[in-house]
Amino acid sequence: MTAPIEAEGLVRRFGDLVAVDGVDLEVQPAEVFGFLGPNGAGKSTTVRMLTTLLKPTAGRARVAGFDVVREAGRVRRAIGVALQDAAIDPLMTGTELLRLQAVLHGIPRRHADRRGAELLERVGLTAAADRRVGTYSGGMRRRLDLALSLVHEPEVLFLDEPTTGLDPMSRVALWEEVRALNQERGTTVLLTTQYLEEADQLAGRIAIIDYGRIVRQGEPRALKSEVGAPTLLLAVDEAHHAAAVAALAGFGEERPAGPGEVAIGLEGGAARVPDAVRALDAAGISVNHMELNQPSLDDVFAEATGRRLEGAEEPAGGGGTPAATGG
Amino acid sequence: MTTVALLRAHRRQPLLQALVLSRRSVVALLRQPTVWIPSMFFPLFFTALNSAAFQRATNLPGFPPFDSFLDFLVPATILQGVIFGAISAGTEMATDIENGFFDRLISSPVSRISILVGRLAGAAALGGAQAVLFVLILLPFGASIGGGAVTVAVLVATAMLLGVGIGGFGVALALRTGSAEAVQGSFPLLFVTLFLSSAFFPRGLMTGWYQTVAGVNPVSWMIEAQRRLLLEGFAATDAAVAVAVAAGIGVVSVGASLLALRRRLAEAPA
Repeated sequence: MTAPIEAEGLVRRFGDLVAVDGVDLEVQPAEVFGFLGPNGAGKSTTVRMLTTLLKPTAGRARVAGFDVVREAGRVRRAIGVALQDAAIDPLMTGTELLRLQAVLHGIPRRHADRRGAELLERVGLTAAADRRVGTYSGGMRRRLDLALSLVHEPEVLFLDEPTTGLDPMSRVALWEEVRALNQERGTTVLLTTQYLEEADQLAGRIAIIDYGRIVRQGEPRALKSEVGAPTLLLAVDEAHHAAAVAALAGFGEERPAGPGEVAIGLEGGAARVPDAVRALDAAGISVNHMELNQPSLDDVFAEATGRRLEGAEEPAGGGGTPAATGG
Repeated sequence: MTTVALLRAHRRQPLLQALVLSRRSVVALLRQPTVWIPSMFFPLFFTALNSAAFQRATNLPGFPPFDSFLDFLVPATILQGVIFGAISAGTEMATDIENGFFDRLISSPVSRISILVGRLAGAAALGGAQAVLFVLILLPFGASIGGGAVTVAVLVATAMLLGVGIGGFGVALALRTGSAEAVQGSFPLLFVTLFLSSAFFPRGLMTGWYQTVAGVNPVSWMIEAQRRLLLEGFAATDAAVAVAVAAGIGVVSVGASLLALRRRLAEAPA
């Protein structure tokens, strides 16, 4: 079996802006693949090309074995798509939207109604099935969006920022749904996210994308272990910042950190924390906060890009347009 | 699902898709009365105002022999209503584009034409319903319909075609701009076209450039044909002129919206 998603040298320009700058991907059957990156990194633009909404400027891609440009129609039959912001007609009910989606995919009515009811049950919306979607909460909309993308039992599912703007409970519920779907039916899932935890929790493999390029790719665990040493993170007063960096210089490489923070890749791990504390004390530095963190995807991101993803997220629900806003 | 069922489904697909999308447009109208109630209210308001103010104009020499100015205004009332109402096909299309529903449609294997058909069928249904409602509302106020049911049928058919014509214009703009505001902004243009016709006053009583412009405005030909139907009863030529003008507007604007759709989809592989 060929890979459900393959891309080679995928490029997309908008005028002078290069939103996607040579992306190579190979997603394996029945895999949940996470596409992690900050807003404007090119995640959505890549997904729009893979889902036949946008022509690539250069490169090629195959989804479910079909070329996304020359065989776009066959790609559309094989994929399920839930795009950013759950675009759902607020005037229609869940049942009606599922019925509509089924007809768009050429599923006969008698199959469609049964399938719709099953899917609503599955995403826990049976009670709300005949209510207008305009009355749904954000989490309910996303779950309906997921159900809609599954109507035709797609081989490959694209979820573009499925939980952006959701509360933690709804987020976890959606994760469970995606996980179950992948495990029960072997559906291949490509999801984009700006949340480290989401990529970590859901994805078997991830690609980190920044400025339109994939900067790291692999299993989260492997990527984290490549980072090596845990991160010693301190919060110090601004006046002590330079001195703290100097005092810890011998303990490992400095890593990107937020304002008022110092981060060091602590060689030798936890055993060296007392030494580090003594060094700081000897230099007369007062530490406001200290923690030792095992390598996280944020460290992977920081190591690859020189910036932190954590805390750099836009406020929840900021959504924003993909791609064209650039970054 | 079996292969046979799938194949059978594929053959009928474009038609079924157009049907469900049309249904969606109509359901949206029924669930959003605020979208079309103003399109009934304002024309009725203007008609009430004008028929009170200009009643004596019917006595002018050269005025068509209508009993009342209200009778004279029936076609213009319907046309105004359809203009107000059908443009919503454009704003709804723009809303679909703005909120991403359009992307949901085109990332599915939907027949592209059915997206247009769905919207325009909604506009046609609204136009027809408006014509019926206007006649029913104006009758108790003394409007007389020469030719009876046949004339009403012509009025309804014309209104449905005009719904497509004006809706198509709005849809074309929506597809080009992706903005509901831009569609609404085109509104005055439609009204200028209406005012530069003989919709509110007989051409024979106009003078100078106004008469010339109204004379070449196809809206005048349509309205005048409808008025003759109302005055003199059914005549095939008048019915044909009214329907042909509306259909002509429809052909032009559906053509424009097909081009606009192709342009919008140029970014998406065929």
